[in-house]
Amino acid sequence: VKTSSVYALLLSLVSLPALATGQAPVIEISGANFRAVPVAYPVPSSEAARPFTAEFDAALNFDLTASGLFQVLDRKGFTAKADEGMGAASINFSRWQDVGAEMLVKANLVPDGDQVRGELRLFNVVGAKEDFRTERAVPARDARRLAHFLADALYRNLTHEPPPFSTHLAFVKKVGQQGKDVFLSDWDGKNALLVSQGGINLLPTVLPSGEGVAFTSYKRGKPEIFSQRPGGAANPLVAVGQMTTGAAFSPDGKRLAFSVADGEGAQIWVSSAEGSGARAITDTNYFINSSPAWSPDGKRLAFVSNRGGSPQVYVMNADGTGVKRLSFQGNYNQTPAWSPRGDVIAFTARDERNAFDIFTINVTSGKVNRLTQDQGNNEEPTFSPNGRLLIFTSTRRGPSELYVMTVDGNNQLPLPVERGDYTTPDWGR
Amino acid sequence: MSTPAVPSLLVAKQPAWSRYVFISLAGHVGVVVAALIFSKIFDAPPLDLSQKPIHASLVRLGTPREKDLLPRKEEPPPPPPKAAEAPPAPTPPPPEKTVAVPSLKPAPPVQKTSGAKSGDPDRKKLFSAFNTLSKSAGKDDPEGALDGDRNGDAAKAEGERYYGLLKARVQQYYDLPNTLSDQEKLRLKAAVHIFIGRTGQLLKVKADSSSGNALFDQAVLTATKRASPFPPPPETLQRQLESGGVVLAFTPSGS
Repeated sequence: VKTSSVYALLLSLVSLPALATGQAPVIEISGANFRAVPVAYPVPSSEAARPFTAEFDAALNFDLTASGLFQVLDRKGFTAKADEGMGAASINFSRWQDVGAEMLVKANLVPDGDQVRGELRLFNVVGAKEDFRTERAVPARDARRLAHFLADALYRNLTHEPPPFSTHLAFVKKVGQQGKDVFLSDWDGKNALLVSQGGINLLPTVLPSGEGVAFTSYKRGKPEIFSQRPGGAANPLVAVGQMTTGAAFSPDGKRLAFSVADGEGAQIWVSSAEGSGARAITDTNYFINSSPAWSPDGKRLAFVSNRGGSPQVYVMNADGTGVKRLSFQGNYNQTPAWSPRGDVIAFTARDERNAFDIFTINVTSGKVNRLTQDQGNNEEPTFSPNGRLLIFTSTRRGPSELYVMTVDGNNQLPLPVERGDYTTPDWGR
Repeated sequence: MSTPAVPSLLVAKQPAWSRYVFISLAGHVGVVVAALIFSKIFDAPPLDLSQKPIHASLVRLGTPREKDLLPRKEEPPPPPPKAAEAPPAPTPPPPEKTVAVPSLKPAPPVQKTSGAKSGDPDRKKLFSAFNTLSKSAGKDDPEGALDGDRNGDAAKAEGERYYGLLKARVQQYYDLPNTLSDQEKLRLKAAVHIFIGRTGQLLKVKADSSSGNALFDQAVLTATKRASPFPPPPETLQRQLESGGVVLAFTPSGS
């Protein structure tokens, strides 16, 4: 007992002054530079037919590059042997470390009857070990789908979030001199299927099932909303008043919001997903209310209104009550898209240099963040279903084309589609 | 009366009891004296348990932006890979007199190569003259305050300027992998205690508290070490930073 009390005394003698000097000012440091992890992804080893491997490789490479998680390293610098295999034991990790890789993604394709089996493995280059593996078999014609499946599995493993690569994109592409057709494609614009058939078709929305599109069409003279699957017939969905435009399905897929214009103004209407029970929820005659966008909980709507003099982003409850102006900067703000995460609304705005660019506004604080700048006009943002990425149109290379970027405006890349005039993308399930 | 038995017991016990009292007293006196002596030696600031973390920011030199205008980006996004674009004019060299104020954003690769080429001072002067000319045109004036710092990164000044410099310097090297999940971005916290010498050199760094995530802890330590040497502290802070140090409390994302 005696010795331990002496130790306690000695300890307090030492620690008390240490406590006194340990008093140091605290500086809070946040706002890290989130850095894409340098990843090496060599050409997949493959026994599958060449066109299949090339398609698979292109799709997986673009998924990894666009994800915002990785900085995919240039293959030209790779020094590892092409036949080093898929096992951690046979991989020479120091060669991958030499080219700056922190992670290594390897894929392998093997024909399996009329299917192709794809395997993907993720290695930690510094730790020289395998972190994750996944595999999947698909019909031999679905090379890109296989790549998206594997990329999704990898994405989910790293982020524990819903992955974005097996989702769908709807967009309008100019056809001929006057025609505008609606297409439904993979998330990256590839495998695009024609939905509408001729005439002028606008403002597509991916159906909640992901299997078709709702869009505004002039096919019966005045603009009305139709729903259609690729190869199917156009079903009239809603037609109210003189002009019915811009359908938006609620996140649960049960309700539809759209805009109805008469000669004097435009109001937001809400109906069931099948178009029944339509009723107006805004009532400001002589003013325009348009471009409704649902909040992820389906309780609120963002929309554009010029009731304050210039087009601005407003939010309201889904029954039309509690209208609140959200944007106060800029004098031409439009095409709001509510992040599936709920925190921000992306929109297009015209700045003081008359350039159209994409911004986000925080729903609670109203803080505006700029995502694009000084590169042509950038418009019509649409969120990935997981809220991590945005697809938008940009004129930076001339015609209006489809681009993808992360929600903080980084990693802006053109989608790998043929050149053309693309507008109003909508990213859905 | 029979008294002898009980007192004799007390007498027998007294020496042991008084020894404990003596040790205890001596110990307490020792602690107080030691605390006084040590606090004199290290000249520590008074203990303030209600101390709040320091919010410091470095205000940028420029004119304030009108409130109803849409914001401009600090850094334009990297151009698409294939688009050929004119390289931006190199930044002017910092004036000779200023103390080693770090540049706050890592130089984009384009600037690095152009900087390597423009070795001769004449050319640098020419470019900096162009740069000042274009700035005086007014169109590209950065937002900030008229008495701000050329390298500032905030629109408003706040707190002790040196801590703002320190924070900006560390933040420049504060890289985290994008693969952290949202949960982790909210939850992770780690602190390092650093001691800074008179010329700004890093004397000592130790982990103050761990986040439990090895990747994050490593990133935080790396950022601190890569950020050194720091700007030389002002005279008023030299002693504090040398002996008391400063704690850097890291969280991934911030508002």
